[in-house]
Amino acid sequence: MNRFFFRRLPSIGLAVALLFPLLAACGNSDALVIYSGRQQALVGDLLGKLEKELGMDVEVRYGGSAEMAAQLLEEKEPEADLFYSQDSGALGALTEAGKLATLPRDDLDIVDKRFQADDGSWVATSARARVVAYDPKQVSEQDLPSDLDDLLDEKWRGKVGYAPSNGSWQAFVTAVRQLKGEDGARDWLVKFKQNNPQAYENNVLIRDAVDKGEVALGLINHYYYHRKIAEEGAENVNVKLHYVGGNDPLALINVAGVGVIKGSDKAEAAQRAVRYLLSESAQQYFADETAEYPVREGVTSTKHDLPKLSGIESPDIDLSSLSSLKETLALLQEVGLS
Amino acid sequence: MLPEAARSAPAITIAGVVVAIAAAGPLGYLIVRALDGGVAVALQHLWRDRTLELLLRSAGLTAAVTLVCIILGVLAAWLVVRSDLPGRRVFGVLFMLPLAIPSYVGGFTWISEWPGLAGFWGAFLVLTLVTYPYVYLPVAAALRASDPALEEVSRSLGKGSLRTFLLVSLRQVRPAALAGGLLVALYVLSDFGAVSLMRYDAFTLGIYTSYRASFDRTPAAVLGCVLVLLAVAITVGERRARGKAAAFGLTRVGSGAAREAMTVPLRRMRPIALLGSAALLLAALGVPVFSLLRWLTGASAAIDVPVLLSATWSTVEVSALGALLAVLFALPVGVLIARHPSRLSRGVELASYAGHALPGITAGLALVFLGSRVFPGLYQELPMLVFAYAVLFLPLAVAAVRNGIAAAPARLEEVSRSLGKGRFETRLRVTFPLASPGIAVGAALVFLTAAKELPATLMLRPTGTSTLATELWQATDVGAFGAAAPYAAVLIVVAAIPAVVLGNVFRKSSDAGSGGGR
Amino acid sequence: MTELIVTGLAAGYRDTPVLRELDLRVAAGELAAVLGPSGCGKTTLLRVLAGFHQASKGQVLLGGAAVVGDGMHVPPEQRRVGVVPQEGALFPHLSVGANVAFGLPRKRRGSGRVDEMLELVGLRGYAKRMPHELSGGQQQRVALARALAPEPQVVLLDEPFSALDAGLRAEVRADVRDALHATGATAVLVTHDQEEALGMADTVAVMRDGAIAQVGTAQQVYTEPADLAVALFVGEAVLFEVDAVDGVASSALGQLSLVTVDDAASGVGVAVARPEQLHLTAAPDDAAHAVVRDVVFHGHDATVMLAPLVATGALSDGGRLRARVQGHVPVRKGERVRIDVDGPVRFFPHATTERVAGTRSGAY
Repeated sequence: MNRFFFRRLPSIGLAVALLFPLLAACGNSDALVIYSGRQQALVGDLLGKLEKELGMDVEVRYGGSAEMAAQLLEEKEPEADLFYSQDSGALGALTEAGKLATLPRDDLDIVDKRFQADDGSWVATSARARVVAYDPKQVSEQDLPSDLDDLLDEKWRGKVGYAPSNGSWQAFVTAVRQLKGEDGARDWLVKFKQNNPQAYENNVLIRDAVDKGEVALGLINHYYYHRKIAEEGAENVNVKLHYVGGNDPLALINVAGVGVIKGSDKAEAAQRAVRYLLSESAQQYFADETAEYPVREGVTSTKHDLPKLSGIESPDIDLSSLSSLKETLALLQEVGLS
Repeated sequence: MLPEAARSAPAITIAGVVVAIAAAGPLGYLIVRALDGGVAVALQHLWRDRTLELLLRSAGLTAAVTLVCIILGVLAAWLVVRSDLPGRRVFGVLFMLPLAIPSYVGGFTWISEWPGLAGFWGAFLVLTLVTYPYVYLPVAAALRASDPALEEVSRSLGKGSLRTFLLVSLRQVRPAALAGGLLVALYVLSDFGAVSLMRYDAFTLGIYTSYRASFDRTPAAVLGCVLVLLAVAITVGERRARGKAAAFGLTRVGSGAAREAMTVPLRRMRPIALLGSAALLLAALGVPVFSLLRWLTGASAAIDVPVLLSATWSTVEVSALGALLAVLFALPVGVLIARHPSRLSRGVELASYAGHALPGITAGLALVFLGSRVFPGLYQELPMLVFAYAVLFLPLAVAAVRNGIAAAPARLEEVSRSLGKGRFETRLRVTFPLASPGIAVGAALVFLTAAKELPATLMLRPTGTSTLATELWQATDVGAFGAAAPYAAVLIVVAAIPAVVLGNVFRKSSDAGSGGGR
Repeated sequence: MTELIVTGLAAGYRDTPVLRELDLRVAAGELAAVLGPSGCGKTTLLRVLAGFHQASKGQVLLGGAAVVGDGMHVPPEQRRVGVVPQEGALFPHLSVGANVAFGLPRKRRGSGRVDEMLELVGLRGYAKRMPHELSGGQQQRVALARALAPEPQVVLLDEPFSALDAGLRAEVRADVRDALHATGATAVLVTHDQEEALGMADTVAVMRDGAIAQVGTAQQVYTEPADLAVALFVGEAVLFEVDAVDGVASSALGQLSLVTVDDAASGVGVAVARPEQLHLTAAPDDAAHAVVRDVVFHGHDATVMLAPLVATGALSDGGRLRARVQGHVPVRKGERVRIDVDGPVRFFPHATTERVAGTRSGAY
C-alpha cells in the first residue's frame, strides 16, 4: 500500500496540480463583464484604462463579433453587461432580439446621427472607411478608379484583390445593392467575377499583396495601411490609399459599436463605460492606436495622417439591417462570390 | 424485459447510458433550435437546392480525404511498425505531430506559401495532412498488437512481402483503419477552418454563414441536423464494415504475450519509402513550421513570454483534464460495446459519435445553451470547458478505448472473476490495464484535438483565461502573424508530449512481447 | 473438500441448446475428467460451472449449496471455483507472484501463501518473473497455482495441456495431478484427449451431444463402454459382426467371450474388441485369417495393419483390422497370420447401434 502510494506520488501530484483550479474556480460576480468582438490587440489597453476609470473590475471576453452575438442569444441570462462589436450587424441582431437597453440621449448626442442606432440601442465608437489600396509602381494617380464601375475595366483583369469571406466585403456588397438595386448589383457582381479578381483571406493579406505588387488594386479598410506605416515606417511601405468619395459603395463607412445588455444588474456601470468609450481620451486612443476614425467631433490623430472623416463623402446605408444582410448573402451565393 | 447488457452488467450499462445522454445533449439543443419556428419553417430551410449542393460537396470532400487518409495512415503505420525504414522510431513520433496543427493554421501556412491554393483541392490537401494521424495511430497500435504468426505463415507459403501486406496485414488492421477513417470523416464534416480558408463551399461554411450573416440560429440548426444524420449514416456504415472485418482482425489471443514481429526488408523500395515518408512530413509538418519561422522573423514578432507561458499551461491543463474526463466517459461505453454487444450498446455508441460532426460553433452554442440552463453556476468556469472537451471529443476516446478493450482477451476477465473479484474490481485490475495502450491512444487523441480547439473554447473558457489556440487566433485575426507564430510553435511542441508518451507506451508493450514466450 | 453435483443441467446460446439434461457427480477430493469430442458441449459445461455462462435449467450444488438452480445464478466471484484455462491465460501485465496473489484477500498476500503455491507447482523463486519470460509448461503451472491459492471449492481445468508439446505434457500432467491431490481439491478436467483423461482422472465422464453418456473409472469406461459410440470414442476399437447366445458370441474368428455385463446378451450384433486383444501368430495359408499389410512401430508398442483373407466379419476400417502388439513384434509385413481374440469383448445388439451406424455412415 505504501509502496503503491509512493510510486504513484508524481502522478498524484500532477493530478492535484491539474485539479486545483477546478476546486478553486470562482467567478468574480462584482465585475463588469464585457463581451468584446473587437480584438485584444486593438482595444485591450483601452479597456484596461476603462477599469481605472470606472473604479471597478472589468472582465473582458474576446471572440468573434458574430459568434459572441449568437452566444448572448443562447445564454439563458446574458452573462455580459456590455457588448462591444466589430460591426453594426451583430449589434443589429441583438437589437432585433430585444437584448439591448436604450442608451441615454445625452450619450447618443455626442455622435452624429449616422453613428447610432435609430432606436438608440447602440452607439458607434469608431469608424473605418473602405478604400482602394494601390501599387503606385503599377498604377498612376489619374488611372485610379473613380467609381464602382471603373473596377470592371479590362485593364484590371486579374489585378484586383478582395476578401470574399470578410464581413467588410459583405457590407460593401450590401451598399452596392442599396445603391444599384438588386438587378444592378447582380449585374455588377457577375461582371466583377468575370474580370477574375484575386481572392484573399483577409485585408492584411490584400494590403501586403498590393505592397509587393502581386495585384494592382485592393479593396480594404483604411487603417490597415496606417498600421503598416506605423509598424514598418513610411519609407518602407510602397502601397498607397485612394479615397473614392461620393455616393459610391467604394466610399462606404463601417463602424464598431457598443450596446448595454438589457436586464444587466450593472447597467449604470455599463452606461458609464459607454460614455467613457465616447470620451475624448478614448476617442483619441482610436485615432492614435488603431488608426480608426473617431466618432466624436474635434478629435484628430496625432500619429496617423488620417483624412478628416467629415471631409469624406460616403453613402448613407444602414448596415445593421439584418434582412438586408441575408439578401446580400443570398446574392453572393447566387453569383458565386461568397 | 431488460436488454441482455443491462441484466449482465447493470452498473456499466447505467454509466454508458448516462454518458450517451450527456453526449447527445448538443443534439437535443439542435432539435429545439431547428424546430424553433415550427416544423414547416424547418422544412422550408431544409428544402432548398443549396442544401443538397452543400451536402454533396461536403460528402465528396469527406470521401476523398477519408480514402487518402486511410491509405497514408496505413502505409505510414506499416513502415514504422513492420519495415526496416531507417529512423523509424523518430518517424513514429513525427508522423503523429500534424494532429496538433489546427486546420486553420495548416490552411493559413499553405496559402501563404502557395497563394493560388483554393477550393476543393486546397481543402483536400490541408485536411488530409492534418487528419491522417487519426488513421495512423490506431493502425500502428493494431499492427503492434497483431499476431505476426499469420504474416509469417503467409511468407512461408511463398507470398512476397507486398502480397503478405495486402493479403494478411491489411486485413488484420482493417477494423482499426476503418475506425480511424470514421474519425477522419467526422473531422472533415465538422471542419470549418480549412474549408473557409480555401473558400470551399461546404456544409460548415453554410452553417457559419448562417450565423454570421443572419444571426438566425434556426437554419444553422436545421443544417446541423442534416450533418448529424450524415454522421449517423457514416457511423452505422463503419460499424457494419467493421463487424465484417472483425473476423479478419485477429489480434493476439491466449497468453497475450505476442512475439516481436519480423522486420520486412524494404530493399529497393527503401529509398522510395524514405523519400515518401519525408515528403509526407515535409508537407504536413515542414510547410507549417517553415511558414511559422518566416512569420517569427516578421515585423510583429514580439514574444510576450508571461502570456505565452500562462497560455501554454492553460492549454496543457484543460486539454489534459479534457482527455482524462473523455477517457473516463469512454470506459463504460467501450466496455459496453466490446463486451456486451446489444441494441442498447449500439445506441450508446451511436449517441457518443453523432454530435462529433457538428462544427465547433454549433457544438459550442449547444453547450452555451445547455450549460447556462443546467449548470448556471459552472457556466464559463473551467469544469464546463473540460466537460465540453470530453463530450465533443468523446468519439476519439471511445474508438481507441473500444479497440483496446476488444484486444484484451475476455478470458482473463473470467479468470479474475473465478478468483473472487467482482465485475468492478476485474475491470480496474485486469481489463483497463490490458487495454491501456488503447486508453493511452484515446487520451492522446483527445488531448491533441482539445489543445487546438477554438470556437467552443472561446465561448466556454473562464473569462480571462487564454489558451494557445485562442492567442493564436487573436494574433492572426488582426494579421499579426509574427506574434502568432510562437503560439503555433508551442502548440506543436505541446503536442509532442503525448506523442512521445505514446511512443513509450508502445515500446513498453512491444518490449514485453519481445522476450519470447513458449 | 467439496462435492459437486450437477442435475438436469441445460444451457445454450440463443436458439442452440448445447447442454441437455446433464447429470454429473464428482465426489469430494476427486479428479474427474469430462471427455468428449470437440463440439460436445464440454467447454460450455465448464463455463456454466464457473458461472461465466447462465444455465437455462437444472441445478448445480457445490458442497451441498446451490450455485445454479431455479433461476438462481451465483456470480463467478462468489462461487470459489478456480479455473485453469487453455494456455494458462496468465495476466500479462502482472508478475508471476502477482498472478498467484491475485485471488488472495489483501491481508493474505504477504503471508507466504504465494511462495507456498509456487513451491507446490515446482516454481519456487519465480515470483518476480513476468509471464512472457516463462515457457508454456511453466505458465500452465503458474495458472494452476493461481487457481489453487485462494483454496477454491472446485478447480476446473479446460484442456490445460493441449498447447504443450508431447514430452512436456506428460511431465506437467503428473505435476498437476500431484498438486491437486496434495491440496485435496475437487477438480474437473475437461479434455478431448482420451489418453489424458484415462491417465489422470479418478473418474471419467464421457460426454456426447450435451449429456453424459457414461461415468466410471478409466478401466470401466475402456472395457465396458456404455454404448458403441463411447466404445469408438474412448480408445481404438475393432468391431466384429457376431451372433451372441447367452454371453458367448460366435464370429468368423471363432467363439468370443463377452464381458460380465453382457452375460445374458443374445442376438445379432456388434462385438467390440480393443486392438491389443488381437493375438497374432504366423500361420499357413489355409489357417490364416489375414495378411500383414503394414507394421507401424511406436517404440513401446506397434500397430499391425491386417487385410483379411477370409470373411472375418470385421466392420471397422472397411473390413481391415488393426492389432496392437507390445514389445517384440511377432509378424512381418506380407506374412499370413491367424487372429485370436484374447479376453472378453463388449457386445451391442444391432438395435442399439443403428444410430451410431447412421451418423457415422458405415465408417466403423
